[in-house]
Amino acid sequence: MKRLLSILLVATMMMTMLIGCADKKESSDDSSDGGGGGGSKDLTIAFSFEDLETEFWVAAHEIITETLTEEGYKVIELNCQGDANKQFEQVNDALTQEIDGIIMIPVDGDTAVTVTASANEADVPIVIFNRPPTSDDGNNITVVCDNATTAEATVDHMVEQAQAKFDETGKKLTPCILVGDLGDPNAIERKNGFYAAIEKKPDIFNDVIEVPTEWDAATALANLQSAVQANPDIDFIFSSSDFLFPTIQSVVEPLGKWQKIGDPNHIILGGLDGDATAGKLIDEGYVDGTGVQDLFYETDAALKAIVEAVENGDTQPDEVLTDPGFALTQSNLEEKRMDMWGNAVGAEE
Amino acid sequence: MGVLPKKTQTKKKNPKQIVQSMFLSEYFIFYLTVICFVCVIPFVPKIITRSNLLNVMSNLWPLLVVAVGQTFVLLLGGIDLSQVSIIGVTSVIGTVLMSDSFNEGIFSKTPLWGWLIGPDGGPLAGSSMAIPICILVMLLVGTLIGIFNGFFVAQFKMPPFMVTLVTQMFLLSFAIFLTQSRNVMGLPDGFKELGKGYLGGIIPYAAILTLVITVIGYFILSKLVLGKWIYATGANETASLVSGVPIKKVTIFCYAFSGFCAAAGSAIYSARLNMGRPTLGEDLTMDIVGAAVLGGTSLLGGKGKVTWTFFGVLFYTILFNALNLFNLSYYTINIVKGFVILVAACLDVVRTKLAVKISVQDEAGV
Repeated sequence: MKRLLSILLVATMMMTMLIGCADKKESSDDSSDGGGGGGSKDLTIAFSFEDLETEFWVAAHEIITETLTEEGYKVIELNCQGDANKQFEQVNDALTQEIDGIIMIPVDGDTAVTVTASANEADVPIVIFNRPPTSDDGNNITVVCDNATTAEATVDHMVEQAQAKFDETGKKLTPCILVGDLGDPNAIERKNGFYAAIEKKPDIFNDVIEVPTEWDAATALANLQSAVQANPDIDFIFSSSDFLFPTIQSVVEPLGKWQKIGDPNHIILGGLDGDATAGKLIDEGYVDGTGVQDLFYETDAALKAIVEAVENGDTQPDEVLTDPGFALTQSNLEEKRMDMWGNAVGAEE
Repeated sequence: MGVLPKKTQTKKKNPKQIVQSMFLSEYFIFYLTVICFVCVIPFVPKIITRSNLLNVMSNLWPLLVVAVGQTFVLLLGGIDLSQVSIIGVTSVIGTVLMSDSFNEGIFSKTPLWGWLIGPDGGPLAGSSMAIPICILVMLLVGTLIGIFNGFFVAQFKMPPFMVTLVTQMFLLSFAIFLTQSRNVMGLPDGFKELGKGYLGGIIPYAAILTLVITVIGYFILSKLVLGKWIYATGANETASLVSGVPIKKVTIFCYAFSGFCAAAGSAIYSARLNMGRPTLGEDLTMDIVGAAVLGGTSLLGGKGKVTWTFFGVLFYTILFNALNLFNLSYYTINIVKGFVILVAACLDVVRTKLAVKISVQDEAGV
């Protein structure tokens, strides 16, 4: 009986591997059937991404994989789940498969530099999406939002609201910023944009309270709870990413501070990304504004860049494509509402 | 030390029993690796290309050296969860010493600024001895952390799971605190060679470091009295103590060796990524323990070998490489990996029981 069981276990083990092997991504299968568009079905693009934790990454992932597949490219998807070492190994594995190009959302800017070096060594063009490398070493196409300017424009609007509140009450406001992972240049730029706006009106603010989040909702929750306990008068919060709005709500709501604009207990609230949750909260009047990354521009630029490089045989293109971004606030909501990708995707669904 | 006694192995000769002896052989996981590898070739011929095989080996070395250290602790019936954080903390400590520059705007808020690092880099920046000294420092720090773990486990009889889990949490936070979550860049080119370079264009430097430590581990377990003490302590601590085995010293040694190996793995991982990273290795626990257990090392202690761990790591690395080459979704990869480890652990139990049964039958003359 045990012998039979052993044989069954070995067989199961082998079958698991082979079944797994048979579970090739649909995108690859579809592409081999010949898609539309101008791409060649013999060309393969590896798409390495960090994780799918935020709406921005989910939407970017969907647009990039679907567009490439529709255009007839094979797509190899590599999800490293936030592990830089795994991302490095996965891309190296992909490079041995004679891929034609790489689109990468790096874990952080330093990993982008390391993986760019591997891609350059293998003479494979690489596009770094949305999270720029921390150095100019190596050749890549970087598609990135002007995070500092977009954050500054958003916080400028929040500061206007703060000024009005200060004029009304005569009481200084206590600003707080939820800072992203400082290994990510986007987080640093957003922080710089925040301070640039805050420092324009130093007289109406107390010292800024920084809450580290590491781009992780659980970390953000714990640190924001501590910050609010220590500084119960926080009444101005800028979240470096929209995906943290539910976290902010869960911390301030029990304190009676999750209130709509106009309520005396309303916390002036802003973010950056432009996702559907932020769109809904702006519509409802809980959030004053958010910086919007133009996801459609960024994905389009990344896709055009990689397709052009692959089809022109340019193995080491080197360029920075900047998305100017914009701030969607209560002031320009009517005019720009549907320019925000979160609202557009939401409406489409 | 196969699960089947040698006497029995040599007796059986018909095909059915050859299969049985293969199944019960200590090389079972190696046979399985070869079978899996061969089975995959028709589906993905690229798996046998030179570049892919080099890639597989490049992924194998750092995992192997860390898993060898883990094997020593598993042999005691313990577990070292802190290895992943030792990788992170030694990665930071080693690289800040040799980095040639630090951005003041970024690093000036770190606790290291001003007294250890500055705009011109770490204290060993530009020194010809920077790389060997930094690697030695990494190994020393790893060993000291291991001694700390071992001391608490041996002296206070604390559960290894708790001691090393606490150390893991502390060290991970400490590594992040040291650089305020920033990566350390600007490392010398020679250090990068440890991760990617070849001695004479043939043997990877990472392989040399790993194999030297692996051979030392093998030698300790199979040739020295210390090795016998380790097996004895893992199999029955009380009996070992009564027999005069210095179990406290043995325990401390095993954890120290585990920390040493984790630091060696850290040097290779850091060199491959060409950066010091506080969260480096954070997600490796499953890979390290999984590979050792796949090789046949028992979580209950007293059973395991360095060669088994090598086979386990080889199987694990090839499996992961094959799954990547098959272009599977990440959740499929994790499901398959988890299932394969579970099945391997079940097989190990079945093999052991089967071997005992056959052994009893042989002795009874059935």
